[in-house]
Order: sequence, then C-alpha cells, then structure tokens
Amino acid sequence: MKQIITGPASRFIIAIFVIIRIFSCTPQGCLEESDVRVRGSFYQTGTGKIRKVDSITLFGMGIDTLKIYDRVQNVTSISIPLNAGSDTCTFIMKLDGIADTVTFIYKTVPHFISKECGYTFFHNIEKVTNTRQEIDFLIDNRYISTANEENIRIFL
Amino acid sequence: MKRISAYFFSLFILSGICSTSAQDSISIRRSVKIGADIFGPAYYFTDRNIFAAEGFFSFDIDTARAVVVEAGYLDYKYSQYNYTYLNKGFFMRMGIDFNLLQPETSMGKYYAGIGLRYGISGFRSEVPSFKDDNYWGTVYGSVPPDTYLAHFVEASPGIRTELFRNFIIGWSVRLRILIWSGTGKDNKSIYIPGYGNGTRSFSPGINYYLIWNIPLRKPL
Repeated sequence: MKQIITGPASRFIIAIFVIIRIFSCTPQGCLEESDVRVRGSFYQTGTGKIRKVDSITLFGMGIDTLKIYDRVQNVTSISIPLNAGSDTCTFIMKLDGIADTVTFIYKTVPHFISKECGYTFFHNIEKVTNTRQEIDFLIDNRYISTANEENIRIFL
Repeated sequence: MKRISAYFFSLFILSGICSTSAQDSISIRRSVKIGADIFGPAYYFTDRNIFAAEGFFSFDIDTARAVVVEAGYLDYKYSQYNYTYLNKGFFMRMGIDFNLLQPETSMGKYYAGIGLRYGISGFRSEVPSFKDDNYWGTVYGSVPPDTYLAHFVEASPGIRTELFRNFIIGWSVRLRILIWSGTGKDNKSIYIPGYGNGTRSFSPGINYYLIWNIPLRKPL
C-alpha cells in the first residue's frame, strides 16, 4: 500500500506542482508601465478639432536646463510629469515662441505597480491655471495614472 | 462576498448532515488527526525573510470524508532597491478531504485524494519606504500600516501514509483562487498569508505534514 501511494501517485503530484510553478513564475525585471504623466492634446478653439502646434518647448519652473520638449515640431499631444513631492507644479510652455506659465494643483497617492516595479505616485488634478488668456485648459480626466488616456484638452 | 462564504458553510454543514457510514466488512475506527506543516519552517532556513507556521486538524465523517481545519501564521518581508514591504497575519482554511481510496485499501491509515477548502486571511501590511524617480528628481514615500481581510478557495490533491503506528506523513499540492484581496486599487498585497502571491488571482503552493492520528472508540 505504501508503494502504491508513494510511487506513481507521488510522482504525479510532484509533476503537477513543478509544472504549475514553472508557469506561475513571473519573469524577472519590471515590465509594467511605470511612467505617470498628464496627457493632453491640442484643440482648435471654436471647431473643437485636434490641431497641430508648429513648435513647443516645455520645462519645469526652475529647471530650464532640462527640457521635457525642446522646440519639438508638429505636435498634437504632449505628456507632462508632475512633481510627487509637492501638491503644485508649474511649467513654462512656449507654443510657437510665445511663453505661457501653466500651474497644476493636485493630490498625490502612492500606487503599487508590481512586485518587480515597486511603487509610484498617481495624482488627482484639482485645478489647472495658466497666464495666457487665449489658451484654455479643460480637465477631461482628473485621474493621472500610467494609462495612456487623455487627461486635459488645450484649446488654442 | 458574504453569499460566497454562506454557500461554502452550507456545503460544509450539509456534507456532515448527509454523511452515511460506508458498508464495509472491515472495521475502521473514526479518528481525529492533528498535525503541523514542516515545509514553512524548512523554507525559513533558506529564506529568513519568510516565516510561515501552519497546523492541521481533521475529524473523520466517514471512511471517505473528513472535516479539515488548517490555521497558521505568516511573517513576510521583501526588500529591493526601491521599496520595502512588510506583512504579518493569520489565516484559516476550512473544508473537506475526500479520500479516493477504497476503505479496504485505506484501512483508516492511507489517503490519496483531494481536499476542498475555503480560506480567510487577516493581515497587516505596510511599506515603510519606497522611492520614485521622474523628471523632478527622486521622491520618497511610504504606505502606512493597515489591516486587510482576504478570501480564497482551494483544491488540494495529496497523499498521506502511515509511517509507524498512528504517525502519518503526507503532502499536498495547493491550488488557490483569490476571491477577494481586501485591498484597494492603489495598494495590492505582495503576499497574503495562507494564500500566496496576492498580485495574482491564482496561486499554487505545497505543504508537507507530520500528523498524529488519534483513533476514537466509535467505528466508522
């Protein structure tokens, strides 16, 4: 009886377990998307159609040596990283050479990505303000995550 | 969630009420089994960041079925370059073992079958520190300690054999499905006591038991 139980049945169960462990093993390294950015598209005021911007330069206030966009041409959408260490964040955005100061006000929450990637910060935008009156910012989706979804609409 | 729990408890109770003794020519005494898992403590010697202790109790319904209760404790630590995760908690699994061996073969000593369990896990986890890098530099954060309650179900095919009189060894593969993790959308548990990988809806495992068989006076 002991042989019946410990022999073939034993090997069968071991084989099942090994197979399960092989298929359940997660690959090493962070494979999930971990970049959290505000995603926005440019729209034409009046028609509401997506439009291109001839040239855009974007950098954080006080970090003009490190540009997020440096005279990039023919852009219809942009993605902007927020500062998780603060609840406000100000950028200088130059559209076709004309500067605008854009400020985001938001709440920040820690978010678990995966065991391999660890944690990041997601945000909930409360308000967006800017200095140029001819440009309007409309919040489409306040929840800022790693998802590739539009968060703001920039009307020119 | 409450309905799932209620269905499992109903199944558990009904199986006991409807049990009938098998018509055997062999007299097998009803027994109680008490045991402990040694896989968890053994694994601790290879990885000091995971300590798991688990106990086993079963009561024979008849020659083919036994009510089983398993309970245990987990102390889990995980650390890598950008975060540290801590988790401590208790768990309990309840269910029935179905012995697929005929009574003439099992003799009340041997088991080859499958168990079905409902599990519940209560634990406290925290992330003392983590860091995130982006355009603005490195930002440090933490997730404060909080308690959670997770639910899962399990199928456990396994075998047990008597090593010497009333001392049984056995092991089983654990195939678990997570019903409810207890955490929100922003925070998942890397490891759930009694279940395993909390980021997956399916988690396999293995247990190796040392069991003391206590025959009772009443035959099955």
